[in-house]
Amino acid sequence: MIIRIEPESEVPIYLQIANQIIEGIARGHIHPGQSLPSVRTFAADLGINMHTVNKSYHHLEQKGIIQIMPKSGAIIASPQDFNETSITRLKDAFKPLIAESLVVGMSHQQIQELVTSMIEVFKNSKEETQ
Amino acid sequence: MTLTIFLFMSLIIAGIQTAIPFLVNRSVIFGVTIPEKHLQNETLIAFKKNYCKLVGLLSIILLAAYTLWVLFQTATEEQIVIVGILLEFVIILFSFALYFYYHGKTLKLKTDNQWTGNLKQIRVADLSARSRDEMLPWQVFLLPMIITIGVIGYTLLQYDLLPQQIPTHWGPSGQPDAFTEKTLLSAILMPLTLFVMQLMFLGIHLGTKKSGIKLSGESTEASRQRQLALRKYSSWLMFFVSFLITVLLSFFQLQIIHPDIISATAMFAIPLGFLFLILVGTIVFAVRVGRSDKFAIETIEEKLTDSDDSHWKGGLFYFNKNDPSIFVEKRFGVGWTINLANPIGYLIIFVPLIAILLFSFL
Repeated sequence: MIIRIEPESEVPIYLQIANQIIEGIARGHIHPGQSLPSVRTFAADLGINMHTVNKSYHHLEQKGIIQIMPKSGAIIASPQDFNETSITRLKDAFKPLIAESLVVGMSHQQIQELVTSMIEVFKNSKEETQ
Repeated sequence: MTLTIFLFMSLIIAGIQTAIPFLVNRSVIFGVTIPEKHLQNETLIAFKKNYCKLVGLLSIILLAAYTLWVLFQTATEEQIVIVGILLEFVIILFSFALYFYYHGKTLKLKTDNQWTGNLKQIRVADLSARSRDEMLPWQVFLLPMIITIGVIGYTLLQYDLLPQQIPTHWGPSGQPDAFTEKTLLSAILMPLTLFVMQLMFLGIHLGTKKSGIKLSGESTEASRQRQLALRKYSSWLMFFVSFLITVLLSFFQLQIIHPDIISATAMFAIPLGFLFLILVGTIVFAVRVGRSDKFAIETIEEKLTDSDDSHWKGGLFYFNKNDPSIFVEKRFGVGWTINLANPIGYLIIFVPLIAILLFSFL
């Protein structure tokens, strides 16, 4: 799976990496149980600070997306590892975004269409890779 | 004979220096990253061709003059050697001066035409690249070290057999012409130096293995092929050199213990064969790596660039204190250069060199 970061972007690098890894799992480029590269090699490949990659991994660990094992490194969690708390947290994260969409003037239908089309994109690319 | 050796070496150096613009990473021209769609720019191609012509022409003139001078003047062996070495330096210095000249011109061309003006800078990594990394396992570098330990052990066992004067230098006839007093240290000096060199090779191998696989955002596939080829072939070359040096120096050591084991002719021929094999290995390496990214078919994405120029001082020296990589691929030339902001690189290169120097002056 290819990771692309923009050093000049307003989005912090650690967030860019974390978001792309989550998207990569949704698209089926990487699978639960697979391990991510070590912090050192990942940082060396991108030519960025190891702390940045570390921060990104901790961010993913907090979300429960990966598990950091002492010897085998960062492993991608499987769907059954998630529980109620993950869903509650996501609800909280959706809330301001949906509120903003309404404020901006999107209709109920538009928001639903947007969500459906995004899910379709992820599903399709998952089927393609399989 | 000396003329043949120097001509041969100078030819190789001149050949590689001349061909460099066509052996380097395709998207970096004279140390400046050029966006994919401008790679075929006529001025840039003219820069490359002019560089090759100038270096090639100068090399031919110098080599011809050198040959004529040796053949028609009565030059001593020493003069041939000194002028031969000078000749190699002149070719290298000239090509570097020319490099800096074209580096400046390319940089100016890039800014004048605003090739990166509205492009987004990106950095790329491939999570699966490491599973395709074909570098040799580091353990193979222990094999020559075991041989060296064996040679040191054997020398100590046969200590009484060693002559009172240990040869340290062999003349062109294959006969030793410089000696040192026999002590425990001087008896094993050569294999000990060899051991330190092997440690350095191992260190460089581990350093390159731990360094990043840097991909280009525009030509991901071509850059991945090049990086993987560079890693694979440089680990092979490193092992090949380590192995050859081990054979050569172990042979010399055994020759000191048992002087009759080989003839003087062989003592003369073996180092020549060694030199020849190393040069052939280097050429194969340069060509293999140099051609690895020239055939990839690309899907070019617009509005992207991976311009990393800010970390490359003068297009030659890499200085990035965030990057944990110890070595990075050279921008001008085939091979690796050190990340000058990472102290581990200095350790791997300089500690063994200082150790070897200390041994020889003790």
